[in-house]
Amino acid sequence: MLGDIITPDLFASAFRMATPLALAAIGGTICERSGVVNIALEGIMLTGAFFGTAAVLATGNPWIGVLAAMAAGVAIASVHAFASINLRSDQVVSGTAINLLALGVTGFLMEFWYGHPGTTDPIAVLRPIFSFTSPGGGFFAEIWRWFNGIVLSHTPIVYITIIIAVLAQWALYRTRWGLRLRALGEHPRAVDTVGVNVYRGRWIAVLMSGALAGLAGANLTIEQVGSFTENMTNGRGFIALAANIFGRWTPAGSYLASLLFGFADALQIKLQVFRDVITVPPQFFLMLPYVLTVIVLAGVIGRAIAPAAVGQPYKKG
Amino acid sequence: MPVLELREVTKVFPGVVANDRVSMTLERGEIVALLGENGAGKSTLMNVVYGLLSAEHGEILIDGSTVKIRSPRQAIDHGIGMVHQHFMLVEPLTVTENIVLGREPGRLGVIDFTEARAKVAEISQRYGLRIDPDSRIADLSVGMQQRVEILKALYQGASVLILDEPTAVLTPQEVRELFSVVRSLVSEGLSVVFITHKLEEVMAVADRIIVMRAGAVVGETRPSETDEVGLARMMVGRDVVLRVEKTPARCGDTVLDVRDLHVEGERGLEAVAGVTFDVCGGEVVAIAGVSGNGQTELIDALVGLRPPSAGTMALKGVDITHASARRSIEAGVSHIPEDRHRRGLVLQFDLAENLVLGDHRLAPYASRGIMNRRVIAEMARTRISDYDIRTPSERVLASSMSGGNQQKVVVAREIGRDPELLVAAQPTRGLDVGAIEFVHRQILAERDAGKAVLLISLELEEVLSLADRILVMYEGRIVREFSADEADAETLGYHMTGGGGTKLGDSGAPTPETDEAAERGAGR
Ligand SMILES: Nc1ncnc2c1ncn2[C@@H]1O[C@H](COP(=O)(O)OP(=O)(O)O)[C@@H](O)[C@H]1O
Ligand SMILES: [Mg+2]
Repeated sequence: MLGDIITPDLFASAFRMATPLALAAIGGTICERSGVVNIALEGIMLTGAFFGTAAVLATGNPWIGVLAAMAAGVAIASVHAFASINLRSDQVVSGTAINLLALGVTGFLMEFWYGHPGTTDPIAVLRPIFSFTSPGGGFFAEIWRWFNGIVLSHTPIVYITIIIAVLAQWALYRTRWGLRLRALGEHPRAVDTVGVNVYRGRWIAVLMSGALAGLAGANLTIEQVGSFTENMTNGRGFIALAANIFGRWTPAGSYLASLLFGFADALQIKLQVFRDVITVPPQFFLMLPYVLTVIVLAGVIGRAIAPAAVGQPYKKG
Repeated sequence: MPVLELREVTKVFPGVVANDRVSMTLERGEIVALLGENGAGKSTLMNVVYGLLSAEHGEILIDGSTVKIRSPRQAIDHGIGMVHQHFMLVEPLTVTENIVLGREPGRLGVIDFTEARAKVAEISQRYGLRIDPDSRIADLSVGMQQRVEILKALYQGASVLILDEPTAVLTPQEVRELFSVVRSLVSEGLSVVFITHKLEEVMAVADRIIVMRAGAVVGETRPSETDEVGLARMMVGRDVVLRVEKTPARCGDTVLDVRDLHVEGERGLEAVAGVTFDVCGGEVVAIAGVSGNGQTELIDALVGLRPPSAGTMALKGVDITHASARRSIEAGVSHIPEDRHRRGLVLQFDLAENLVLGDHRLAPYASRGIMNRRVIAEMARTRISDYDIRTPSERVLASSMSGGNQQKVVVAREIGRDPELLVAAQPTRGLDVGAIEFVHRQILAERDAGKAVLLISLELEEVLSLADRILVMYEGRIVREFSADEADAETLGYHMTGGGGTKLGDSGAPTPETDEAAERGAGR
């Protein structure tokens, strides 16, 4: 039976499940490094998922859907940016408000545009980039089967996410933008006194997190599910926040932590199939990723230190 | 032509005129000391020059032409650099990253760290400011961090360097090093504005002295034309007694009785290793010692913040060995803590709230768990006038007050409670001469009202001018006791650094080679 569970598909599925988490987590990393808490990732992701689907339903082109999802993410993130940077309101309150707003707006537009609650019609999806067939038996064929399954079976955003993680990690430590971003979340006044605009730096970071969380939503609908369902993000935005913390506020760490959560999710799905053999209630498996989140957040796996100025509005002068 | 000139600069905060038509000049290669009490408006003036604040009125001229400075970026572009009172360094980043931040070398947004490091090395070599470019700021000493701040300003091309109270956080050794750095900078053609409220520093380093009081320039002089007493008079606006007069103590009943007290420090090490002493009503007993010899732990134990591991403490015959902080206050112990920001005040609370802390549960300030705002505000206004706290109202946040005024709030609360025992730890740390005199007078007034005062201070000057009896603490023990008239700075310094052995009653005459130890012990 173990051989039925540990298959190339399990690991491929882990990468797929990790993708939306990783995108949102990297968004969270960038946002929090600038000093702005973003618990709105959940709502932004949901907004992206909805508008991405709507755009595909309207145009039939999944790539236009991806762009629409990112644009919607940026738009709703700008509300968070304005509230927490310019108005200096409490960032947790603003984030919570956006999560509720996203739930309400997507539900309302669902009824308004499509005349029913629940789930939209199926949409055109993005397909895996490569498609190779597996040759017959033998040892090398087996290796090929694993490689093909884990590495070559994915849809575009899964690869894009890995590229984003690597790029963001490099940029954070090697570029002007990255250095200023790291300084912003630690000591914004120090950044101000060397003549760098704190508000602008934070705005850019929040909008980037909006684009990334929006892209995460696009991955859910346009690559994984193929339709939009109300509240379909189902807490992924919060798990992404945990992944960001577990990844110690670095893009690469966020990706790897998301991969762990993704694996837990993939395993959970796989185990559902064997519910007749393993006599455990299915809810137990459903719990797995969340239990993992709680364990991570409880700090079992080492203390993580947040950017010193995260959550504090900056006031000039 | 002056490199920097200010004309009639006026800056108003709600309720305070922080700068009132201030004019000054700074010549090339000159060190100008900006001297003034806490709250005189020195930082405000320089923040205006640096573009962090914008003035209501006035002109800034650089090399003779009027400029508008609306942001630090513009100030930097005009060759102005500033080292702030609170450092502007990003702790997890490296020295190099901090220095180049905002002006990173490189192409297309990618930082060229090799070039960055080379530039840092070049500047640090040129001005003799040695530093490891790859250390993280968090791992550096305060003196080194300040060096990074200076390097940062130089990297940004500063020709005018503003240092805001640069010595406040330094050890005496580091102060001497800073002075020589400043001198080498002006010899390279830079001009320096040196903000301070310490008279001897001004005398030591300045070419010219501009004195500010209550937002305005009240005088200008040179070290050769004045002395510390003259400067103090200018700065405070009246004759200041650098050492307050006091009458001999009249010792009453024993108030505090400490027997063989042992206290553990942070890492489970014994920080206080069996001390025995008493303090009677009507006397000031001072504990002198170099920082880190168990004073902090002793204070914590006395005020109920850290349980002793052995021994007893009694207040007027009542055992307080295991009293909590609340019970200790109720028993009559007041505490002026050594760190006013961490323990003395809640910075986000207003003045009235800070003044009532600790008594907030008691009548008349509260009844049945509800605080009476009106009574508290009345009490606050009385304290504000009694203790000469300079503030527009009792509703001002503690965080927006100057250090001297914050300390007066703590003193007003702790003495205003009318305690049996006042534990005053470093009560004048960071204060200017006027405020020091005030706090010293308050402490002596407590003594003369028959209360017991335990003073813990690293400043020998303070110990010598206030104490009736002096206990020298070294490595967790009281190694020596002096009466006020038999102690002098040299002898104290000698014993504070372990010079007299650890036996009580040692003769302990200082020998020539202990001069340096005495100087170090003097803590200045
Ligand atoms: N941001 C601020 N808001 C309100 N009042 C301020 C602010 N900064 C300084 N002040 C007030 O302005 C006066 C001058 O302060 P400051 O320039 O810091 O004095 P100094 O540096 O000479 O100690 C003080 O009365 C202080 O309370
Ligand atoms: Mg100041």
